[in-house]
Amino acid sequence: MSKGDQSKGVKMICPSCGVEMNYHADKLDYTAALTEPNKIDPELGGILDEVHTCPKCGRTDVRKTD
Amino acid sequence: MDGARPVFIPVILGTPRQGRMSEHVARFVLGEVSKREGVETELIDIRNISIPVTDAGENVKEAKLSETIMRADALVIVVPEYNHGYPGLLKHVLDTNLKEYIHKAVGICGVSAGGFGGTRVIQNLLPVMRELGLVTIFWDGNFSSVQNIFDTSGNLVDQAYIKRIDKFLKELIWMAKVLRYGREKVPLE
Ligand SMILES: Cc1cc2nc3c(=O)[nH]c(=O)nc-3n(C[C@H](O)[C@H](O)[C@H](O)COP(=O)(O)O)c2cc1C
Ligand SMILES: [Zn+2]
Repeated sequence: MSKGDQSKGVKMICPSCGVEMNYHADKLDYTAALTEPNKIDPELGGILDEVHTCPKCGRTDVRKTD
Repeated sequence: MDGARPVFIPVILGTPRQGRMSEHVARFVLGEVSKREGVETELIDIRNISIPVTDAGENVKEAKLSETIMRADALVIVVPEYNHGYPGLLKHVLDTNLKEYIHKAVGICGVSAGGFGGTRVIQNLLPVMRELGLVTIFWDGNFSSVQNIFDTSGNLVDQAYIKRIDKFLKELIWMAKVLRYGREKVPLE
């Protein structure tokens, strides 16, 4: 696994369905960096979001990588 | 894939202008999408989305729009060409979401009074789509000289657009299904 992957080591659980979500993308969020400049990843220039989607209902949630 | 859930493809009408011809295009495409088995759609009219212009991005997101995009598997964006670019309000509205778009498909219909079918506005919109996390398809809708394609009531006059939009939608639906499978089943390595 590369740096930042599955940062918290546990799968996200869909709050609607209670099933494990699939972690399918890392996305740089430049706007989050405006409100939390101290959290900007110095190598990437933004704040990295892990993107997780529920296989049952299709809901997508994000969480910040560590 | 969860066969029980229909594919959801809303159509975004990308200008608030009084007298907009793009509305004819959006309603025509909406009608063609709604004919597809297993596909749901609805119109997102940016004229009806009230967001402040004193801020930008997710700070000013509108809950209903976010819910609709969250539920979507793909988007159709109907965009008029304004000075070879896209309407500023469309960009302002698109910028209010991010996670809602990731790994979803998008197809663009360009609308122009001139002869190039919105080709220039489509090309200008492609890099924006990419940064939003949307995946573009290789078919576009090109509505050149739009004033000649519909009558004043918005009825399609040039029937060639039915076949063209059929090709566009087939590709978009295929991409929507593949990306849904990917979002839900294929992990990031
Ligand atoms: C501000 C503005 C700029 C425009 N620039 C172009 C242009 O660059 N090329 C073109 O073919 N038509 C241009 N048009 C005409 C539109 O393409 C035409 O109105 C068409 O019907 C689509 O826009 P609508 O949905 O607002 O009607 C422009 C219209 C406006 C209002
Ligand atoms: Zn769920």
